[in-house]
Amino acid sequence: MSELGPIFRALLRNKVGAFLLALQIALTMTIMVNAIHMIENRSSMMARPSGLDEANQFYLSSNGYAENFNERAVVEEDLRNIRALPGIVDVTQINAIPLSGGGWSMGLQTETGEDKPSVGVAVYFVDDHGIDAFGVNLIAGENFSPTEITYRQRNEQGWPQNIIVTEAMAKELFPDLTPAQVIGKTTYIGGDEPMTITGVIDQLQAPWVGWSGVERVMLVPQRTEFRSSRYFIRTEPGQRDRMMKEVEEMLVAEDRGRLIRNVRTMEETRDDSYRSYSALQTILWIIVIILTIITALGIVGMVTFSVNRRRKQIGTRRALGASRFDIMKHFMLENFLVTSVGLLLGVGSSIALNIWLVDAFSLPRIGWYYIPVAMVILWLVGQAAVFGPARKASQISPALATRTA
Amino acid sequence: MLRMQNIRKIFKTEMVETHALRDFNLEVEEGDFVAVTGPSGSGKTTFLNVAGLLETFDGGDYLLDGQSVKGMNDTQLARLRNEKIGFIFQSFNLLPDLNLFDNVDVPLRYRGFKAAERKRRIEEALEVVGLASRMKHLPAQLSGGQQQRVAIARALAGRPRFLLADEPTGNLDSQMATSVLDLMQEINNQGTTIIMVTHDPMLAKRASRNIFVRDGQVSEVGKEDDIVELLHKTAQVG
Amino acid sequence: MFSYYVRLALLSLRKNILLTGLMIAAIGLGIGAAMTTITVNYMMSSDPIPQKSERLFHVQLDNWSPNQPYNEPNEPPDQVTWLDATNLLQEGRAFRQAAMGGTSFVIEPSQAEQKPFIASGRATSADFFPMFDVPFIYGRGWTANDDNSQNLVVVLSKATNDQLFGGENSVGETIVMGGRAFQVVGVIDDWQPRPKFYDVSTGPFNEVEEVFVPWSLKEPLELPLNGNNNCWKPVGEETFSAFLRSECVNSQFWVEFEDPQDADNYLAFLNNYVTEQKKLGRFERPLNNRLMDVMDWMEYREVVAEDAIMMMYMAIMFLVVCLLNTVALLLAKFLGRSGEIALRRAVGASRRDLFLQYTVESAMIGIAGGLLGLVLAWFGLQGIGGLYGDMTEGLNELDLTMVGFAIVLAIVSTILAGLYPTWRACSVAPAGQLKSQ
Repeated sequence: MSELGPIFRALLRNKVGAFLLALQIALTMTIMVNAIHMIENRSSMMARPSGLDEANQFYLSSNGYAENFNERAVVEEDLRNIRALPGIVDVTQINAIPLSGGGWSMGLQTETGEDKPSVGVAVYFVDDHGIDAFGVNLIAGENFSPTEITYRQRNEQGWPQNIIVTEAMAKELFPDLTPAQVIGKTTYIGGDEPMTITGVIDQLQAPWVGWSGVERVMLVPQRTEFRSSRYFIRTEPGQRDRMMKEVEEMLVAEDRGRLIRNVRTMEETRDDSYRSYSALQTILWIIVIILTIITALGIVGMVTFSVNRRRKQIGTRRALGASRFDIMKHFMLENFLVTSVGLLLGVGSSIALNIWLVDAFSLPRIGWYYIPVAMVILWLVGQAAVFGPARKASQISPALATRTA
Repeated sequence: MLRMQNIRKIFKTEMVETHALRDFNLEVEEGDFVAVTGPSGSGKTTFLNVAGLLETFDGGDYLLDGQSVKGMNDTQLARLRNEKIGFIFQSFNLLPDLNLFDNVDVPLRYRGFKAAERKRRIEEALEVVGLASRMKHLPAQLSGGQQQRVAIARALAGRPRFLLADEPTGNLDSQMATSVLDLMQEINNQGTTIIMVTHDPMLAKRASRNIFVRDGQVSEVGKEDDIVELLHKTAQVG
Repeated sequence: MFSYYVRLALLSLRKNILLTGLMIAAIGLGIGAAMTTITVNYMMSSDPIPQKSERLFHVQLDNWSPNQPYNEPNEPPDQVTWLDATNLLQEGRAFRQAAMGGTSFVIEPSQAEQKPFIASGRATSADFFPMFDVPFIYGRGWTANDDNSQNLVVVLSKATNDQLFGGENSVGETIVMGGRAFQVVGVIDDWQPRPKFYDVSTGPFNEVEEVFVPWSLKEPLELPLNGNNNCWKPVGEETFSAFLRSECVNSQFWVEFEDPQDADNYLAFLNNYVTEQKKLGRFERPLNNRLMDVMDWMEYREVVAEDAIMMMYMAIMFLVVCLLNTVALLLAKFLGRSGEIALRRAVGASRRDLFLQYTVESAMIGIAGGLLGLVLAWFGLQGIGGLYGDMTEGLNELDLTMVGFAIVLAIVSTILAGLYPTWRACSVAPAGQLKSQ
């Protein structure tokens, strides 16, 4: 290590080249840290559980078009028929699909009055089979009873008495209460219409994956008569694909003046909703990897040049008693120094870029450990890159020293 | 001090084999100041490289300070060069990015001396060549003669048993050449063995012993021989 | 002389083929990445109707809750109520104006073998078609008279006409939509403004609707809403008519002026209108109406996805790294040739000669890198299309402007990258380097 002094002083005499390399390494680190941070950020968003039994669920939409379409009769018969199929765990009619991107939201508040703060919440109209079809767990209170399920008309404004909410929603409304304590509490919808929380489920995601309140959901015990609705179906493990076909065939078989469309699995829906996330991740990975390779190759090129230019100097050092290992060490140390300067710059610029990203794109801050990890990686990359040319340098004959040219 | 017995050195290319040294025999005593002359292509430089352990040889034996260097690996050779031999090159071979202090420091670093020891020796060596005051200068800021003095200081700093000089004045004007040579003479007087390769007969005359290399072989040159004439003759033959 | 420089450059580039390859690859990758992301951004932010985007204005009225703005700090809603759209349409104060909103229909084809299907629709008024320069293959849009008389007329998209009528001229034919017979008055040619500026509420790059019907039919036919609906106040009565007359925003209103200057007058009219409405107990917030032309509106609605912007910044930084890499390598390369430079100087090359020689060499790397970058950008865009699927349809195509931009970017950036190394090379003294090393 004591050789650092002269190497450093020599580098200072070759400022521009060394500085360019350092700058390149600084930028590489900046991009690496922030890109991997973005990748991680998206990963953690994608990893949030939806609360559903996604592998065994699918849904379809049913749109009535015929003048004589009797929605109530059709839906009730459909649900009965589907439920009767072996391989089906449960089914519910629903207005919107979790993670799908389209749905309803309302505001709930704990005090009446239009000027009081309200908490946004996703609304799922389901019947007493909703909890089973979702595969979510009731952690307090009770499920809806079959008798309290009512039918909701297209322009209906009122709301039923009871609702079930997710734990996250309960916490948002009543931060100090446990789920059990929330049971029986009244909340107000549309400013002043009271509703009672009769159940709390552990977890269920809203239709909008990019929404900050994605965990806030309420279940409303109603079936809809909007002429267009969806059935959300849960099957026995491994039966999903078979049941999708069977259910669709069964529903299409009878002409009841409605269209069956959009038969899709939850897994497809998840993939679609997070497609832009995973696409961004892939792109950023490609950028980081190619960038690292370019930087490594750049170091190889620079050191090769430097070795070629200094052949005679290397020969002289060898003549003066440097072993092959000494020569290798020289180049490795030189690279270590340049890389270190670059990485020190990189720490600053990584943090600066992150601050900007936090500001402009409301990304979270980077974890402190990104910095040392990136530094170690780039040190290793630098040393690996310099190894080849340094080895070549160490093969230079000491006899070169006596050559005049 | 230095003994070469039947040293052979062959350069092979795809087309030809060149015998750079053949049955080369030479013995140098402690304290000698040997000048090696010879026409270009005679094998002078090869001899110098072999003597300085810069190149290996293909046959024969070479004893340096009573120790055979045959079969030594690269690291051992480097160590030996570092400890026993000081080099002075025609084009000085100072490292342009290092100041004088760091230049002289180079062999000492490889020797693994402690910082204080190195500093003492560097200052001393630069003192001897009269450049102690310019330690922080870069080689490019010095004249050719001064640069060669730095090179000598670098060679001396390790206190080698002998100095190998390759046309030490080849890139210098005559006045500078004289002063460099005076310096070498002084070093020799203090007991360091010097082998100097040169094509300049006037220079060779200042040595205590002259040898002449021709076609990779040695012949001792007596006091009465005229080197100029020898060079002439070989030139005509060649 | 120029061809001599080119020859020298080729010679020099060939001599260090690996290094040349590395520099070209670095530039190519940098340009490729930058171009891929810039193209996506460029497509996203392109002007969907350049010939008149400065004369088309989107209307915003602030009918929101007196207690809180629609969006902080004090932004009016992105859409207007059905009531206001209808009122403004009736007033007809602009050169042209169109009220509109998304809807959908179940279409029952007359042929028995074709199954009923759902088509996306748009209820709008007659000016929509001339305002937005909608191209027709058959017939034309309906008239103001059709609007006023609530006639059951429809304009089909090309794809829908292909599906229903095999691409034949269907003007005058009838189709059954939502159980009612509509008469076809026109068929639109391929038309897909990107972004779909007239309604970005459900996604700025969605497909244009499949059927268009008169705005005035929305109420009598109770056309369902296909789009976003936002309310701050309970609707009250449970009828469709009450819903339409509520403070829920779910419609768009666009105006066209002959001269962009007319916007001031129109805004004054809007303020007047709102002041009148205040007397009816509506519009409880202070006057906060907005008129934005197409591009301002696109910027306001941030149609360029944040991810696309982030990716572009990352890719541009990536390009900078690649350029730094090239500067460093060129510097090393040119300085390694100081002997040759000194010789050329000694035999009479002027600084300018050398400058040209080395600039030509950098430019050649730039050209090669630019071409490689274009190829990579093409692959990159295909890759983006593959990764994002339908979402990026039409956004991942290289057009001529972008191709030209890529080449120029590559050459200019490489010449810039070569500038410092070239300058350093040219300042080598003629004599200095000839002696020794």
